[in-house]
Amino acid sequence: MFGKKRVAIVGAGLTLFRRNLKETGKELAYEAAKMALDASGLELRDIQTVVMGTAPDAFDGVHMKGEYLADGAGARGKPYVRVFVGGGTGVFTPLAGWWHVASGQFDTCLVVCEEKMSSCFPHPAYAFTTIFDNILARPLGTTLIWIFALEMHRYMHKHNLKKEQIARVAVKNKKNALDHPCAQLGANITVEDVLNSEVLCWPVQRLDISPTSDGAAALVLASEDVAKKITDNPVWIDGVGWCIDSTLWTNRDLYYPDYVEYAARMAYRMAGIKNPPKEIDLAEPYDPFDYKELHHMEGLLLCRKGEAPKLTEEGVTQRDGDLPICPSGGLLGVGNPIAAAGLMKVCEVFWQLRGEAGKRQVPGDPRTGLAQAWGDLMQYGSVIILRR
Amino acid sequence: MSLEKITDPRNMKHWLGHMETDYRYTLGIAGERFLNEIKENARIMGSKCKKCGVIYVPPRMYCEECFEKLEEWVDLGINGEVYTYTVAYLDREGKRLAEPVIYALITFGDAFGGLVHKLGEVKPEEVWIGMPVEAVFKPPYERKGSITDIKYFKPIQ
Repeated sequence: MFGKKRVAIVGAGLTLFRRNLKETGKELAYEAAKMALDASGLELRDIQTVVMGTAPDAFDGVHMKGEYLADGAGARGKPYVRVFVGGGTGVFTPLAGWWHVASGQFDTCLVVCEEKMSSCFPHPAYAFTTIFDNILARPLGTTLIWIFALEMHRYMHKHNLKKEQIARVAVKNKKNALDHPCAQLGANITVEDVLNSEVLCWPVQRLDISPTSDGAAALVLASEDVAKKITDNPVWIDGVGWCIDSTLWTNRDLYYPDYVEYAARMAYRMAGIKNPPKEIDLAEPYDPFDYKELHHMEGLLLCRKGEAPKLTEEGVTQRDGDLPICPSGGLLGVGNPIAAAGLMKVCEVFWQLRGEAGKRQVPGDPRTGLAQAWGDLMQYGSVIILRR
Repeated sequence: MSLEKITDPRNMKHWLGHMETDYRYTLGIAGERFLNEIKENARIMGSKCKKCGVIYVPPRMYCEECFEKLEEWVDLGINGEVYTYTVAYLDREGKRLAEPVIYALITFGDAFGGLVHKLGEVKPEEVWIGMPVEAVFKPPYERKGSITDIKYFKPIQ
């Protein structure tokens, strides 16, 4: 056992994901936090500490967004911290919650993630223009999509992949999302629809990419003593891992995310997992673009390098396949309010392991699941392993 | 929780705000020398770690592997190779560009890393990964110590 105390998830909450929601960021945080508390049977006064995750201040347009959101996340008068590792935040936040409890300092912790991207107009992608190197990249008019297009193209080139093979991920995830009550973009589409959609930055087309969204998600964590008192079916956080690569993405091979592998190895070691494809029953890798699901399956060691497209083609990653990937519908289908989207994946694994995923439930009584998020400048991996 | 689907955010009660902040970014120790070499000498330089032997491009002041300070500079020439590329059809605000722009990551021999830049004098369908390219510089009087002193990279004939 790594931490002093074993830590359980005892409740989860999720708002709708939509392009424009009327609620303020604080109100979204509140909706998710309240739902998670109600699900756990605890009240706010039972919560000893709050950990908040939210991505760049520039989305909501509020500097010190962590402080701004604190009261909506139920943190007033409590020990509180906001953590931020770009797109990796949504899975990193429950990791930070975990160490608050595993350390023995707290018995209960509320974890909340929020993003309100619609405040930033004409398009929140504009807020990303200032994440690039000020000297070497910004003068060229860098956009977020084209650096991902460079990475996707290199991945395709390295493994000799066709767009068709990658588009299947978008088809699968948007279809899965039809069964998710919070989803923004559930749809029945075909590979041809993806290939015929507007070209944004070749090879990235409109339907390869997740939308911008507003939304929030939350979890209640408890120490083993408390968890056993309040629920018969806690879900344990048995593995955590995180890792960063250089921000100079020009100095990476781009076709393989080493930093995700290092984060995954850390989490597998802690959970005692030796053979990930056999021991992981379902996974929610980060899928802001369809190719990223494949990239991340490989980085998570769920298959060999270059093998993820083949598994997708063979149906292995479908909800009823041998290794269900993104049964929620992922970011491509449910939506992508950055930090909240990552935590949505952890919520999904929690519900799947409790048998509470409704129409999305994967068969076979899953016992072990994994969620992963990815972010900063294509450089951050955060991984969590849950067990029933 | 608001359940209705809102497609036009202007239909919600709102207050229009703006976070205007301007910045002055220094080029830095390695950056200033790198861009000055482009401006004055039209050449692309890397910085070399004496301990690891790694040549960094773009050049850096320190080795991220061993934390040595890098003071040795190496001329990388102006020829490189397309490592990966994209064809951008949208501008930063999401508006359609009149003409698509080709952006590529260009590597230089054994140097670690590369430069991201535009490709010119070539059509999108003619570009391939591995294509040899050379830097095209602006005329000296137009160069001001910016990465855009390189107009673009073009295929080597």
